[in-house]
Amino acid sequence: MQALLVFLAIAALSLLASSPALDPVRFPALARLAAGGFLFLLFGVVLGPSVVGVLSEEDLYLLRPVMALGLGTAGVILGLNLEPRLLRLLPRPVYSAALAHAGTAFLFVTVPLFVPLLLTARPSLHAAVGAASLLGAAASLSSGHFAVLAYRSGRMDRARGLGVALLTMLDDAVGLVVLAVALLLGAAPTAGEGLGLVCLAVLLGILCGALLAFLTHALKDPAELATVTLGMVALVGGAAAYLRVSALLAGVACGATLALVGGRTTERVARALGRVERPVFLVLVFLVGCGVYTRDWAAWALVPGFVGLRFLGKVVGGTLAQRFARGVLELPPRVGYALIAQGGLALCLVAEYQLLVPGGLSRRVLDVVVVGAVVNELLAGQAFRQVTTPLARMKPVPPPDVGVAT
Amino acid sequence: MKGAVARLLLVMGLLAIISRAQVLRVDSGTPVTLAAGALLLCGLFAGKVAKGMGLPRLTGYLLVGVAVGPYVLGFIPGEGVKGLDLVKGLAVSLIALVAGTELRLGLIRRVGARVALLCAAVCGVTFIVCFAATVALKPLLPFLATLTLPQVLAVSALLSTVVVSFSPTVTIAIVQETSARGSFTEFLMALVIIGDLFVMVAFALAAGLTRATFGGGLDVAGLLSGVGWELFGSVAVGGLLAVAMLVYMRGVKQELPLFLVGLSFAAAEGGTRLHLSPLLVSLAAGALIANLDEREGERIHHAIQRAGLPVFALFFAAAGAGLKLDALVTVGPAALLLVVLRGGAIWFSCRRFAPADDPRLKSHLWMGLISQAGVTFGLAALVSRTFPSFGPQVEVLIVAMITAHELVGPVLTRRALTASGEVRTDEAPGTA
Repeated sequence: MQALLVFLAIAALSLLASSPALDPVRFPALARLAAGGFLFLLFGVVLGPSVVGVLSEEDLYLLRPVMALGLGTAGVILGLNLEPRLLRLLPRPVYSAALAHAGTAFLFVTVPLFVPLLLTARPSLHAAVGAASLLGAAASLSSGHFAVLAYRSGRMDRARGLGVALLTMLDDAVGLVVLAVALLLGAAPTAGEGLGLVCLAVLLGILCGALLAFLTHALKDPAELATVTLGMVALVGGAAAYLRVSALLAGVACGATLALVGGRTTERVARALGRVERPVFLVLVFLVGCGVYTRDWAAWALVPGFVGLRFLGKVVGGTLAQRFARGVLELPPRVGYALIAQGGLALCLVAEYQLLVPGGLSRRVLDVVVVGAVVNELLAGQAFRQVTTPLARMKPVPPPDVGVAT
Repeated sequence: MKGAVARLLLVMGLLAIISRAQVLRVDSGTPVTLAAGALLLCGLFAGKVAKGMGLPRLTGYLLVGVAVGPYVLGFIPGEGVKGLDLVKGLAVSLIALVAGTELRLGLIRRVGARVALLCAAVCGVTFIVCFAATVALKPLLPFLATLTLPQVLAVSALLSTVVVSFSPTVTIAIVQETSARGSFTEFLMALVIIGDLFVMVAFALAAGLTRATFGGGLDVAGLLSGVGWELFGSVAVGGLLAVAMLVYMRGVKQELPLFLVGLSFAAAEGGTRLHLSPLLVSLAAGALIANLDEREGERIHHAIQRAGLPVFALFFAAAGAGLKLDALVTVGPAALLLVVLRGGAIWFSCRRFAPADDPRLKSHLWMGLISQAGVTFGLAALVSRTFPSFGPQVEVLIVAMITAHELVGPVLTRRALTASGEVRTDEAPGTA
């Protein structure tokens, strides 16, 4: 394990070092994949057990502590962004719009892909429902980084850019709720027990979040603050992994609790966590990539369906969202095209699902979503051009140097 | 201090809840990340409590590790502590890298010869005392009882070389904690580093002799090449790392802490696999950088110093959690006797042989040489692996000694630095 981790660290570092060599003008797709972290995902796929085999299945098992840390960190960051106070201030049409675009994509993917999943893997009915729901949840998620980059570079009106970013933030909540339901159905022999495990994860997160708020309350030294933050993130992810409950959900509960009760400390914690976000995310997506089983032909067969149905769902859902949010939230025309990029949370969802519901079906879901996420990232650049205005499109496009994790 | 105690108790309360909740689950997952988070948090607040009580933070880290570890409260399973070996290797490399940046040519010219002479005297006297005591203790030590006289002598020599070793990690950590600067501190740091070089050579020779007395034959060429590879190979690999770091720092100019962590990690793991000394590899890298480009040396120093608090807290808390307290029960009296004799031998040799121009060296230096940690653990594990017939019992004895030295060593090192008058401030922000 240790030698392999060395390899992993060196690979990550060499990629970091070589990133300036990725010229966005000459290799736009590659530069986009690198900026989103998807290049690490592809490296993971190549070096994983099913292609070159530098990392074996056993190595991946031994690397689970790193995975737990990554999922816990992603969860806490996500929870900090889901500020309960801010969410309470949002008018109802915004929620309707978010639910419309996420829900449409969810239904467009879940319902048609349920049947092939059931027929190819022959699982129990509720396992198939859980797996199809998770595919839908991954499809419902979008990343707002194109919109953020666009308004920062002047290619999109700021209000519209923020509107898109807000929609993508809210669809994270939909994804997490579906993960909880999928775990409820698949992570334990009975739904009641599954519910208990989900509640345990949330309770653990709330306890850790409240404690983190208390521990960091009077800390003035930045080094101590960073140490406590890192320690608590490791504790929440690690405790969840130890108890075999969802590290992602526990992390979200921890972050949201901190955002609710932490006051001014919240911002300092978020800043401390922001320093490790990128490296932790890159290692996490690398490990998710390693888990892909490339020889599952049924998964490959599902990918076009997943990508196509999601695209359709996003376009239709975007139109509905625009209708619901009219007069409340400013959104660009054809907003669905701005929601094609899938982002890292989808990877976290399926990785968590595979950890807690091991088996062929969860692996297939992981394969489909990983390959789909890369394709969606490549499609997103072209699709986003449909959203920006022709005049603005003529302005020079800066290199995608902003890494957006989720 | 009350706030730190309350926070520590709350974290321990949460750990108690988690370990209770685990009992309700049929199966459990990996405890490694939990161990890392728990030890980091407990270590930080225990360090503050220890500081409030006038003790080094390191003592707080170690004691809380012992308390929450598998042998006392059991909040952290042994498997979790074992999984942190990776972090320990990384911490040793980072600490050695910082120490290396302190080794300027000017300093080596100024005190090198005097340090080497005193080091030889301290190591020699301590070795002789411990060797004689081990041979005399033969009837009380089960692993010596059945051996022939040459074998007893060889095993005693092997054990004594390990017992002689010092702890550069503890010394450097206390120096960072107290921000001590001056000739006494330089002398102490140089002595513990050179002392470990002496121990490495002596250990390789003693291991070769022991192998010969057990029928393995005396391979002089192999012995010398092994020692040479460990020493010169480590320096050469350290040189390569230094070049890589300089190229990175001058060319890329970003993500330096991450790069240093990755490279230190590679030095720790790669060094072990190549039979090099990870400590020496990082030490050589740091020293080369500091002497080739002073500005970059300072950058490395500051980058690692910023990351010092979590690294030290986790490293020493994990070391505390990993202490095998049950070993104290079985070989406690013999270990205690050796601890006292070692301390006495170090005190005597410092009083007798330390340079007379600085009276502080004669009176206080011995206190800075009592600690034992990472290097001693590593050598004890090596004895256990290399000589399966008696090695595990020797390891238990040495670990019992390390337990005692880890608890008193940091306190004595801080007292030595305070008494020397070179402690600049009691608390540098963000340090260990």
